[in-house]
Amino acid sequence: MSATQTRPVGLLAQYETPADLLHAALEVRDAGYRQWDVYSPFPIHGMDAAMGLKNSKVGYFTFAGGITGFFSGMLMIWFMNKFDYPIVVGGKPLFTPLFAFPVSYELTILLGAFGTLFGMAFLNRLPKLYNPLFNVERFRRVTDDKFFVYIEAIDPKYSAESTRSLLEKTGATAIEVVED
Amino acid sequence: MTMNLRNLFRSATALIALAGLLVFASAPVLAADAGHDAHAADPAHGSAPAAHGHGDAHGQADSHASSPTLLQSLGYSYLTAFLFCLSFALGGIIFLIIHHLFDAGWSVPVIRLAEHLACLIRPLTVALIPLLLLQDTIWPWLSVDPASDHSLDVKKVLLNRFVFNGLLIFVFLVWNHIAFSFRKYSLAQDKDGAAIWTQKARFLAGWGIFFYGPSLTLVIILLMMSLQWQFFSTIYGVYYFAGSLWLTLATLYGLSRYLSTRELKPVVFPRQVHDLATWFFAFTVFYAYIAFSQYFLIWNAAIPEETFWYVDREKGSWWEVGLLLLFGHFFIPFLALLRIDTKMSLLVMGPMIFWAWLMHYTDMTFNVMPVLWKNGLHVTFFDPLCWLGLSAILAKCFWSDYLKYPKWAQRHPRLQEAVTHHEIPATPTAAD
Repeated sequence: MSATQTRPVGLLAQYETPADLLHAALEVRDAGYRQWDVYSPFPIHGMDAAMGLKNSKVGYFTFAGGITGFFSGMLMIWFMNKFDYPIVVGGKPLFTPLFAFPVSYELTILLGAFGTLFGMAFLNRLPKLYNPLFNVERFRRVTDDKFFVYIEAIDPKYSAESTRSLLEKTGATAIEVVED
Repeated sequence: MTMNLRNLFRSATALIALAGLLVFASAPVLAADAGHDAHAADPAHGSAPAAHGHGDAHGQADSHASSPTLLQSLGYSYLTAFLFCLSFALGGIIFLIIHHLFDAGWSVPVIRLAEHLACLIRPLTVALIPLLLLQDTIWPWLSVDPASDHSLDVKKVLLNRFVFNGLLIFVFLVWNHIAFSFRKYSLAQDKDGAAIWTQKARFLAGWGIFFYGPSLTLVIILLMMSLQWQFFSTIYGVYYFAGSLWLTLATLYGLSRYLSTRELKPVVFPRQVHDLATWFFAFTVFYAYIAFSQYFLIWNAAIPEETFWYVDREKGSWWEVGLLLLFGHFFIPFLALLRIDTKMSLLVMGPMIFWAWLMHYTDMTFNVMPVLWKNGLHVTFFDPLCWLGLSAILAKCFWSDYLKYPKWAQRHPRLQEAVTHHEIPATPTAAD
């Protein structure tokens, strides 16, 4: 087998307006596809619902990060001020959650943000340096003025004919087989 | 069902209002009896010398260390209830100011409700009169000679009878002007749909925000902070504001959620209701931030002129009330509303609205009442009477305004945007 040989990995459909894309997403969702995505130069209100997406799980990562930050802040201040090197400052107790709170609060936010960022990257399987969509010339205009739906061949409902006819029915202006 | 509820509500309102009037009518009689009754009624009697670590506090000790008279008890209960109720109007006004300043779209379906809340400033201006009549009973510094009290002497530019009365009356009149102008513009737009009314409201919001901040701070310094006039806290007005908008957002949530299945069905969608809950959640954090900052800075600096205020609030059961605020005003709502879905859950949000009312009232009690009841929380029958009575009168005013006017801003330029913003269009527009 030659290294340049390609195989089809999905179908890419192009749309001209956000409204067309939203409508197409509704159709694809109702047809029961799971392995698919939409691409647009900007966020489109209502797209989550149109795609049937549930609330993102990234909040759990944020929460875990925040909790870790809060308690590590408390622990750090307790360790440094009361345990490792006890020193009286301004007549205050060696440890109280009061003065440990600002630091814990900052660490809650910092690790919460880290949880969000890395949780998002993990859930989206980023970084991803290659995507077969890069092979499609027309896909470059997704950063400018075109809108796309991409259905992957690994979807159980995928078939070259019926998926193509579904996309044609949604008013796609171009449909292309993506190869890898 | 709805009509029965309304009738029941009206009768209850009338009864409570009548009871409130009776109490006020009988105030002079109570005052005359106070000498006999108060001693028997007050468990704190004789046990509260001025324990401040601060010499200037003696003026206050002279007038309030002994058991409070019934008239004082009534005055403080009324002040607490008044400050609680004032939050609705001030929350409504700032909601409108923010709405117009940001040229917001999402909140258009509920601004009529906020306009009615803001216009509660009129009955509250009437309710201010008893406070002004009882001023010598409530604010101890009014009977202290500045020459004998250093902290009053340095603050006498603000803390004198003329400024106290004049400023309160002036600010309440301007608040009336702001609130009623917002509603006037909005109602005028219902008729002709002209954009000029939105522009006028935006101009009003422009200068209104500059007036609102300083005037709220001044009024709260006069009404609440000057009860202990030795105290300093520049963040005090913001503290009251944060609690006020918190309360108002909970109330707006309840109203719009209830009405979204009824008269407001065509315009109020889960999106607006959810956004209100998100804002309520944000102010749960903001209030905690302000309350903690005030406490933390005073605790850290440990200056007697400031710490005595918190020392007073750690005596007896006031310590537990403080903890109740810490957990009830912040941790419980914060943790309960952290998840996105709980903001739409009736099981969580239904009790949360009543909880917010209770917590804001507790917060007002925590700020006002330790001046009178030094040894701990002391509930008299004036407390529920004033609180429920004044709230019921305001609820009655709100409800009659609600029934009288169109239920939402009918022809606001951004209404369509607000209604359709997050909803998926039924049919796609042709490629254009």
